[in-house]
Amino acid sequence: MPVFHVRMDNRLIHGQILVSWNSAFKIDHIIVTNDKVANDPLQVTLLKAVAPLNAKVSVLTIKDCVDYCNSPEAEKENIFILAKYPEDGLALLEAGLKIPVLNLGNQAFVRGSQKISNTVFLTESGVKALKKIHEMGIRITCRMMPNDPDTEYWPTIEKTLPQWAKSD
Amino acid sequence: MVGIVIVSHGAMANGMLDAARMIVGEQEGMLAVSLEEMEDVEGLIEKIAAAVEKVDTGDGVLVLVDVFGASPFNASARLTLSRDKMDVITGMNLPMLLELAIHRQGSNLDELVKIALEAGTSSIKTLSETLKSK
Repeated sequence: MPVFHVRMDNRLIHGQILVSWNSAFKIDHIIVTNDKVANDPLQVTLLKAVAPLNAKVSVLTIKDCVDYCNSPEAEKENIFILAKYPEDGLALLEAGLKIPVLNLGNQAFVRGSQKISNTVFLTESGVKALKKIHEMGIRITCRMMPNDPDTEYWPTIEKTLPQWAKSD
Repeated sequence: MVGIVIVSHGAMANGMLDAARMIVGEQEGMLAVSLEEMEDVEGLIEKIAAAVEKVDTGDGVLVLVDVFGASPFNASARLTLSRDKMDVITGMNLPMLLELAIHRQGSNLDELVKIALEAGTSSIKTLSETLKSK
């Protein structure tokens, strides 16, 4: 399995990734994926500049990310995917990424979002995306650090934000 | 005079300002910005930009951050790349900040960057090695 972890974190590459996750796992390749970020040259330059010594960093659109991960080149690598939002996580699955678990990292407060915990704020669109991910049989976890428990997180979302999590 | 903005995870930036005040006294044009747990990089950029505006007198601004590649760095770097007369130093420590405070009068941005790098790195020592070399 070339892709061993997918994290949805709107801070993208940051301290927790470079220090905690990078020391807990052997990461060869960090792929940051979000269509807007991939098309912003300034952000691409900076994300590549902060690559740790052991891993290369790519910044790809959702489609390019999935194409790469399904290519023979990816077979030899341990890939850590960093998607920005839950919507990006869903888009990865819909584009054909095969992965049993999606991890929710930091989702900072944005306009219209509701609090689930100190580090997770979700929008209605984000909750709907997570609901679809859950209904596809994919496990959703919420681990800021590698040693956080990998319990199924969907019930917490459903209980905290029932107005958005209920069926239409 | 070059403005100084200190950016960190949590309370470290304010703590550094507080500690510097005890050693070199009240400083003009020096502000701290904290990344709170619930904040995103875009929000942090706005906070840093507001602090930079306040301390910039036209001579430029030096931003000190805690960890290379972490959100305080990422936000400061994105702001710096869209602006003139600004630089970012990572791995900040108190000796670095003290030297900057002492040399701010009469130094330009490039000179201060050199002073900060020298002070930040040369101030890291162990007691055992220090005693051996005497």
